[in-house]
Amino acid sequence: MFKKILTLSLLVIMVAAVCLSMVSCNKTEDEFKLGVILLHDEASTYDLNFIEAVERAAEQLGLSESQVIMKKNIPESNDCYEAAADLVDEGCDIIFADSFGHETYMIKAAKEFTDVQFCHATGTMAHTEGLANFHNAFASIYEGRFLAGVAAGLKLNEMIASGKITAEQAKIGYVGAFTYAEVISGYTSFYLGAKYICPSVTMDVQFTGSWYDENEEKNAAIALMNNGCVLISQHADSMGAPTACEERSVPNVSYNGSTVASCPNTFIVSSKIDWTPYFVYICNSYMNGEEIAVDWTGTISTGSVALAEVNTQAAAEGTQAKIDEIKAKLVDGSLKVFDTSTFTVTVVTEGENTKNVNAKVDANGNLTSYMADVDTDAAYTADTEVIKDGYFHESEFRSAPCFDIQIDGITLLNAKF
Amino acid sequence: MKKPNNTSLHEPAFHIVKRDTIPLGKAMLIRVAAVAAALLLCSVLSVLLINANPFEFIETLIDGAVGSARRLWKLAKDSAVLLCISLAVTPAFRMRFWNIGAEGQTLIGALAAVAVAFYLGGSLPNTVLLVLMLLAAVLAGAVWGCIPAIFKALWKTNETLFTLMMNYVATGLVSFFLVIWTPSGSSVLGALSVGHLPIVFHEYFLLIAITLILTFVVHIYLSRTKQGYEISVVGESENTARYIGIGVGKVIIRTMIVSGAICGLAGFLIVGALDHSITTTTVGGLGFTAIMASWLAKFNPIVMIGSSAFITFLDQGSAQISTNFNIDSSFPDMVVGIVLFFIIGCEFFISYRLKFRDSDQNAKKGGAGK
Amino acid sequence: MNKPVALEMKKVSKYFGTLAANKDVDLTVYRGEILAILGENGCGKTTLMNMIAGIYYPDHGTIAVDGQEVVIRSPKDAFRHGIGMIHQHFKLVDLFTAAENIVLGVDSEEKFNIRDVNRRVQEIADKYGFRIDPKKKIYEMSVSEKQTVEILKVLYRGADILILDEPSAVLTPQETDKLFDILRRMRADGKSILIITHKLHEVLSISDRVAVLRKGEHVATVETAQTNESQLTEMMVGKKVELNIDRPEPKNVTDRLEIKHLSMTDAEGVKILDDVSFTARSGEILGIAGIAGSGQKELLESIAGLCHPIEGEILYHNPKNDTTENLRDKDPVAIRELGVRLSFVPEDRLGMGLVGNMDLVDNMMLRSYRKGHSMFVDRKKPGDLAKKIVEELEVSTPSTHTPVRRLSGGNVQKVLVGREIAAAPTVLMAAYPVRGLDINSSYTIYGLLTKQKEQGVSVIFVGEDLDVLVELCDRILVICGGRVTGILDGRKTTKEEIGLLMTKAERADAPELTEKEGN
Repeated sequence: MFKKILTLSLLVIMVAAVCLSMVSCNKTEDEFKLGVILLHDEASTYDLNFIEAVERAAEQLGLSESQVIMKKNIPESNDCYEAAADLVDEGCDIIFADSFGHETYMIKAAKEFTDVQFCHATGTMAHTEGLANFHNAFASIYEGRFLAGVAAGLKLNEMIASGKITAEQAKIGYVGAFTYAEVISGYTSFYLGAKYICPSVTMDVQFTGSWYDENEEKNAAIALMNNGCVLISQHADSMGAPTACEERSVPNVSYNGSTVASCPNTFIVSSKIDWTPYFVYICNSYMNGEEIAVDWTGTISTGSVALAEVNTQAAAEGTQAKIDEIKAKLVDGSLKVFDTSTFTVTVVTEGENTKNVNAKVDANGNLTSYMADVDTDAAYTADTEVIKDGYFHESEFRSAPCFDIQIDGITLLNAKF
Repeated sequence: MKKPNNTSLHEPAFHIVKRDTIPLGKAMLIRVAAVAAALLLCSVLSVLLINANPFEFIETLIDGAVGSARRLWKLAKDSAVLLCISLAVTPAFRMRFWNIGAEGQTLIGALAAVAVAFYLGGSLPNTVLLVLMLLAAVLAGAVWGCIPAIFKALWKTNETLFTLMMNYVATGLVSFFLVIWTPSGSSVLGALSVGHLPIVFHEYFLLIAITLILTFVVHIYLSRTKQGYEISVVGESENTARYIGIGVGKVIIRTMIVSGAICGLAGFLIVGALDHSITTTTVGGLGFTAIMASWLAKFNPIVMIGSSAFITFLDQGSAQISTNFNIDSSFPDMVVGIVLFFIIGCEFFISYRLKFRDSDQNAKKGGAGK
Repeated sequence: MNKPVALEMKKVSKYFGTLAANKDVDLTVYRGEILAILGENGCGKTTLMNMIAGIYYPDHGTIAVDGQEVVIRSPKDAFRHGIGMIHQHFKLVDLFTAAENIVLGVDSEEKFNIRDVNRRVQEIADKYGFRIDPKKKIYEMSVSEKQTVEILKVLYRGADILILDEPSAVLTPQETDKLFDILRRMRADGKSILIITHKLHEVLSISDRVAVLRKGEHVATVETAQTNESQLTEMMVGKKVELNIDRPEPKNVTDRLEIKHLSMTDAEGVKILDDVSFTARSGEILGIAGIAGSGQKELLESIAGLCHPIEGEILYHNPKNDTTENLRDKDPVAIRELGVRLSFVPEDRLGMGLVGNMDLVDNMMLRSYRKGHSMFVDRKKPGDLAKKIVEELEVSTPSTHTPVRRLSGGNVQKVLVGREIAAAPTVLMAAYPVRGLDINSSYTIYGLLTKQKEQGVSVIFVGEDLDVLVELCDRILVICGGRVTGILDGRKTTKEEIGLLMTKAERADAPELTEKEGN
């Protein structure tokens, strides 16, 4: 036994010695470095979107391979802090993390390494945390969703016109992950886009309770189709819903990336956040010695919100032209996605099933006031008035979405999550 | 019966001979050779698949694992967490109870600790809170461990399947509570500000120290106590246990309580010293890796320090390869797989010897090898 | 000897680790002869035969069949050269018929036809005088029938060199005689038969020549007609051995253990013990004879508290305080707590009596580790006991910290019996305590049992060698199919009488049996 321990410890010491000698010859050049922390790797469409954006940004900025360090498969735990700290040791000047759950651990690292900038996508805490080197970012993806909704509305109109369905049967099915502001904001803007084109449209939403569960998402899509939905969209990361649609030849509006390769007959269009402008922005800010915004929101005008190429095989005629037309209106501000005059809200403050308690509506059911939970705290108190000038100011008080109102015309099939 | 007409001699080129005993030094040499051979193969693959030069490959592996003080600490910390769970499965394995539910037992321990911190945090002094978290975690782990044991003891259910299924139940429970605890709907709890273990000397020091102490406690428990002795007897032969009047069922249940409780402790350490939070992937497969660490160490807690460190070393080093060469993580996984395959495979050469025709004459002189 | 040579081994060696199982063995087998391979357990008989049958491959040396050197790498190679082996442990598929088992694995060009197979099996059986129904399923067969199937399997493949590994171990004397008749008929047919055994009287009755092995080496091959038991023994053991078992008259005989109407069923509800009654007395050895699997194991285990009878009583008369306890349904710990000093040497030494992977010291603790209130085990006393046993019983072991599985069979048994005797028992039960032991070790064990008897212990001895039973035991209980078929005086009975009672078919008791089941 003693001999075993001796041999083992000798081995450990030898290995350690070798390594320490290697540490001493570590490079110390002073070039700019970007560190990226990713929840998964290329296999996840969510992370792939970030990886591709980093690569495009690096190309635009002329960063060499050694100036970008990506750490993949970092869970939403203390490992995230460790990865960040390790990137600091590697000489990174900006460290970026891509998943919502990374936030608290990024803050921990930001507090420790004050001369390094920490940027975090989809988070909500930067504007209240008060750290000079911690920043949140998101994009007004609801604009992209709205445009995708327009494409869906055109498709529905085409189906009504051809007599396939009646105007009353124009029902969209939506597969969502959680009953969470990001998802609610997403499907509501999508619905409003469709309604803008096809006024009779309604929508059913089925939640899966997971960001990535191929089976569940597929099952949810099938359940929605069985329930009379004639067009499906989703906010979850797997191919579950699109493949279900392709199998049943039901048109599908996708999210994140184009699924045209696997679903050539049903894929219409997809919206996604393009993070390239953000990476370019933070790198440039750092190199020019400028402050990085505490809470940055990419918009359709900055190029952060993008639509994939329309699949003419499945989309209605003239879809691209219509999208371009409405996109121009969104860019110049003449059209607001959450224009309170375009939808109604039902408020239920009493009984077991309370609904939209923070909202105030006029006689027509149009919103007049809404207090949203912008500054994250444990109790989720509504703290900020977000209705002004006749529309809901999404992604303006903070980058992450905070629209969590249940509007009329959308039915949640399972709100338990 | 047909007799072969030409009885040409096709003497086999080699045949396999069982070794009697093998000196420790030689056995270690075979293992080192196996690791070297595995790394060589990995280097070759790295040239073929990712176009890296083999030296760079090995250098990155070592650099990633122990290339800085921080990485050394991380290596020590990750090894300690793995070691803790390996220690937990060991009593059960010594009893030949194939507990592959350490993942769930640890997760449920972590969940219990987080629940205590979530509900009682702020209303209690930190020390009291930590004690309660520890108790809750240990209790939860023990309960999770003893449920399959009770079924095994009373109805002879298959413990492998049962413990595996309990993992999924634990994961489901975590998802369930995350939804309850996050009214915003994000299902991300984030780090809690309460229930942090105090920092002594270094952030990870306490965790490592506790695990090392635990290693010796488990070692003593297994080798010096009556209960440890009973575990060995039950594991070696249930008939013998029956013969001397050991209640096999009782020992199974008791041992799984110990096993689950240590898993619970591991869960507490993860929550109290590292994450201060929980997700469904908090244990991250360590419950399964621990099985390997325990096997590699032949269920000896002291040797397990080495085996857990080695597995963590490979893991951490190969993650660096993924980062440096910007390849997806399947390649590092492959590296770990190849190395472990070689190590397990080399056990064959420790128990058996290939005897080649040419060596016949030498062997005759030397009896049967050294 | 002018018969043609069938098989010749030259300088064949086989090593297991550093241990030489066979060393430079020369052996010649002629056509039409029965050659007995004689030697003590562990002398390398089976290893040697396994090399001929293709189970092991020799490290050195050559094997020639019909004068031509051959390489036998697998049992299939062996069959190609006409060699077949009947192993001690049968390898049969229970749910198949005899004929199906026999053709299993035979490569054949032609289409499989079970009727042809049945016919050919029957032909072979008739030719040599086997009594067998080719269509009978294996699970319905007795041990001797199964053995017949194994032999037919080899003959069906056309073997003319047959190797039988201890064929009589599982047979009654009558069945053994029948088998030997068949072997003689095969010899007449020109087959060469190698028969592994360590029973001298069998060697003398069946073989033409005897090859004696000792410690892996070939001592000599002699003509059976020109040798005798004591010469063979001397060759086997390497020195002169006294082959008499001392049997002193029992003294101070009192009833110690009284078994009344004990019945037990197995998991399927089949009766394994059926109304067993007897008394074991202090100061005598009670032998239990019977075909393997007749309920001996269950009988001893229910007395030891390891399994639970459905009916009956196990009464223990405590000599200390003159009380009587019913031990039925008590576990070993409870029995011990009653102050009953019951020792048990089970049949399965390394699977029950000892733990193979533990060293001598840890094995000594098995019975006693609970002593004391400390949560830690005390290894000092067991260590002393282990040293004492190693010394007194001349156990050959590198140290008391060697795992017992590394010891030879005889030494394992000495450790086990030594431990059980060290507990100063009042009842000592031993199941097949000399199985697999060499002659010296066997006689050591007989001596130990007799010494216990002289010290007033009630000894229960389950044996398989009837010669030993009639020499060692004061009384012999014969068991057949879970029923007691007779209790005989060891000094007056003969092994033929015991053999008859061992196979006394249930026919005679059938009416009683059905009546019982009716209840």
